[in-house]
Formats: sequence, C-alpha cells, structure tokens
Amino acid sequence: MIDTIAYGLTIGGILYIISIGLSLTFGTMRIVNFAHALVYTVGAYVLVASLSLFNGHFIAASVVAVLAVIPLAYLIERYVIRRLYGESIDYAIIATYAVLLIGVDAIKWIWGAIPIPLSDPVGKAWNILGVELPLYRIIIIALSICVFFILELFFKYTIVGKIVVAGLEDKEAVRSLGIKVDRYFSLVFVIGSCLAALGGVLYAPITTVHPYMGFQVLLLCFAVVLVGGLGSMRGTFLSAFALGMVMAVTGRFWGPAAETMVFVVMAIVLIFKPIEV
Amino acid sequence: MLLSVERINVSYGRARVLSDVSIHVNEGEMVFIVGRNGAGKTTLLKTIAGFLSPEEGTIRFGSDKVNALGPEEMALKGVRYVFQDKRVFTKLTVRENIQLAAYAAGVSLSEAVDKIVQLYPPITRFLESKAGTLSGGQRQILLLGRALIGDPCLLLIDEPTEGLAAGIIEEVFKVLEMTRRKVSMLIVEQNLAVVRRLADRVYAMKEGHIVAEVNTPEDIQNQTLLEEFL
Ligand SMILES: Nc1ncnc2c1ncn2[C@@H]1O[C@H](COP(=O)(O)OP(=O)(O)OP(=O)(O)O)[C@@H](O)[C@H]1O
Ligand SMILES: [Mg+2]
Repeated sequence: MIDTIAYGLTIGGILYIISIGLSLTFGTMRIVNFAHALVYTVGAYVLVASLSLFNGHFIAASVVAVLAVIPLAYLIERYVIRRLYGESIDYAIIATYAVLLIGVDAIKWIWGAIPIPLSDPVGKAWNILGVELPLYRIIIIALSICVFFILELFFKYTIVGKIVVAGLEDKEAVRSLGIKVDRYFSLVFVIGSCLAALGGVLYAPITTVHPYMGFQVLLLCFAVVLVGGLGSMRGTFLSAFALGMVMAVTGRFWGPAAETMVFVVMAIVLIFKPIEV
Repeated sequence: MLLSVERINVSYGRARVLSDVSIHVNEGEMVFIVGRNGAGKTTLLKTIAGFLSPEEGTIRFGSDKVNALGPEEMALKGVRYVFQDKRVFTKLTVRENIQLAAYAAGVSLSEAVDKIVQLYPPITRFLESKAGTLSGGQRQILLLGRALIGDPCLLLIDEPTEGLAAGIIEEVFKVLEMTRRKVSMLIVEQNLAVVRRLADRVYAMKEGHIVAEVNTPEDIQNQTLLEEFL
C-alpha cells in the first residue's frame, strides 16, 4: 500500500509540474496550448543528449535540459501563441497541435523513434515501514512541493507575480494602468515551459524517452487542469496529486484502467462543477 | 485644448457604433457625457483611452495625434481610464491594487497610498483587505484614487455613481470635487443631480452620435433640458 501511495504522489508531482504551465497559459492568454507537450518531450531528449555529454551527471544534464527549452518556448510564444490572442479557441488548438506534430517529426528525424530507457539517477532506496522506496521518487515528490511553494511566493510577493494575478482577473484593467501585461504573460509562458521540460526530465527515468511521450501526458495534464480549475494554481496542485493517486490506486488493482479512470473522474467532476470560461 | 476628438467613426467588426463624433476637453475642465444605454458612451471613452482605434477621424491629445496609441501608451501620457462596473483586482489587497498603479507610474508606494488616504481617509482601515471585500462605493473611490497616482492630465471615468446608494454617492462626489480643476475629466454619468453639481459642459449622445452640447450654466441647471437625453 505504501508503495502505491508513493507512486501516486510521484505521478501527481510530475503531473503538477507539467500542468502548471498549461493552466497558466490558459488563464493568462486564453489559449489551449498543445505545444506544451513538445516542450516536455524536448526536455527529456535534451536530458538524454546532455547525459552522454556530462558523463551521466544527472543534475547538470537536467539544468541544461530545462534551460535549453527557453529559446524554443520563446519562439513558440512569439510566433505562434501571440498571433492567436483574441482568436477563436479552435484556431489555437489547431495551430499549437500543428507545432506539436512538426516538433515530434523533427525529434524523430534527429534522435530516431526507438524508445530510450534511462536508469534511476539516484539508485538508492529508503526503507519506510518495511517497504523499499526508490529515493528518486521521494525527491520528485519533495521537488514538486518546493515548486508549489516557490510559485506561491512568486505570485504573492513579487511585483511581477502580482501583475500576473491581476492580469489573470482583468487584463484590460492592468493595461489601463500603463503596464504592458503581455510581456509578463510571456515571462510566465517561459517559466511554465521550463517546468514542462523539468517534468520531462523527471519522468524520463521512470518510463522511457520516445517521440510520442508528450501525447499521453498531455491528455492527463488536460484532465488535471480541468479538474483543478483553469488558471487556478492551488487547484492544479491538488488536482494533480488527487489524479496521481487515482492512477496509482486503479493501476494497483487493474493496470490497464489506470488512465481511463483519470478521465472518468474528470468527467464526474465536470458534471458537478462545470468550468467557467 | 487638452483633448480633441475630431469626427471619428468607430465600429466593432462591421457594426458601426460611433459616427462622426467630435468632442473636446479643455485644460482643467470637467465635461460630462449623458445618453441612454447603448448610445456609445463607453465606446467613446475606450477609444480615447486607446482600447479601440477610430477608422476615420483624429484624436489629438495636447499637440499629438494619438489615434494609433494603445492603452499603455495613453496611460503613460497621462490619460487614465476608469472602467464602468468598478473593476478592482479583487484577489489583490487594496494596498496591492495601489502598488500596481504606483509601479506603472513610477511613484513610490507610500506616496501613492498617502495620496489616496488624503482623498478618502477611511481607506486606511481596508488597506490590507482583499479589494473584493470592498463595497461598491469603496471600490469606486479606490479606482479613482488609483487613476490619480502619478499626476495624470485627463481622467476618463465611466459611470462612477452607477448602482451606488445615495450616501456613498456623496463620498464619490467629494472625491471628484476635490480633484476638480487639478485634473481635467471626461465623465459618463446618468445621475443628473451629480452632473448638475459638477459639470462645466455636457455632451449628449444618442445612437452613436453627439446630438447636443450643453454649455451654459443655465441650460445645465435647467430641470428638463438634460432629461430629454436619458
Ligand atoms: N464588444 C462589443 N462588440 C460588439 N458590439 C458592442 C461591443 N460593445 C458594445 N457594443 C455595442 O455598441 C453599442 C454601444 O455600446 P456602449 O457600451 O458604448 O454603450 P453605452 O452608452 O456605454 O451603454 P451603457 O449605458 O449601457 O453603458 C451598443 O449597441 C452595444 O451593443
Ligand atoms: Mg457604458
């Protein structure tokens, strides 16, 4: 049972780290961004590439992977997302989905389509109440909680954070004060993308790295964002861990149903708490 | 002349909302716009504020043509728009609401807070409350105070007393009275009692046109003349 809980929390932590960017992009720019899954995948591939460069030094390779997506995120924001402001939401879905497909093909072209397994970067386990838990997973859980608190502090105490919170509520009113709110939204977009890459990095050693890894995660993240409330940071945090647990517990009893169950929960939540767009 | 709007046309998509509208505001003047719902009053203020741009005509501020400027640039030029519906940032505290305006205007937070406290001393008690907990009147005063940070030249205020109880209208009125002459103001207002007490001049709008300009004190005080336009 303890390992199921730990697994649920690990998945929840990773889902949270990836979803936060998706939720913020929707909240700030009203755009459903499928290209988020590309950034996540690129994060994982850059990790693989830089692991061999740094002789397997995981932390250095992770930092490189997270930073490497900044230019990619910037380009996506500048040349795709920003052109979609105020357009119908379907355009955004089609355009960002196209970016995802192009990006995935580019990855196949560069790195090939064969899944790449990675070994556990920590390799140690902790014994908790008689159960051996990989230390790596505990680190992931701790890290996702740290990300949550850092973001809370960022949005509560920095002027940039406050501008974004105000802009989430009323973009025009922020502009009327003389603040170019789109710049701050772009910054948030890049931060969200770096977190997606971090999610890719953290998840890579647990599964395998392959060009289509983003698609599966993307659907789960949409479930997280919808259940948590679009643009709600605390909601995303809670919903990621709740759905992570749903996956882990379902998976323990009936493996193939784990992900389906997430969408069943999402459907139930949406029936009782319809989203306000 | 501080602001002059010359024969502008404005549309939302294909729907023409303002046709051939011309108005002006002089330095230190307090000018009102009255007119029925849907007459285009908000559209006019939003166009001046830079949220919409006219298809034809010219908007001049001082000696500059400002047709193509966005709301951020207009705000930095000293034109501040106060939205209809008392739109404060409800999730931020009152102090943080002030902080954003101070940040944008390059003024220190304490100076900005002092300025608003001078306008309305009771605000001191609410500085740390979420702006969402304020009453309609308090919100309006916060918005007016926030717009005054950084010494703007022109306030565009959209229905400041709409939906407020009589007592609090008096408070909002006092704030407007205190800023009178220091800052020029163009105010959309349906409450004719307020208009009569403050207006230097009044424009009446109907279906996207300016249909009258009332500019003598006698006409403004006339008990029936303005009623016609509501
Ligand atoms: N975003 C929009 N898109 C399309 N039409 C709009 C939009 N906003 C306003 N309109 C239309 O433009 C016309 C003028 O609207 P506006 O809001 O300027 O009127 P108003 O005089 O401020 O009315 P009120 O007294 O209700 O505030 C109305 O017919 C309205 O339906
Ligand atoms: Mg209006």
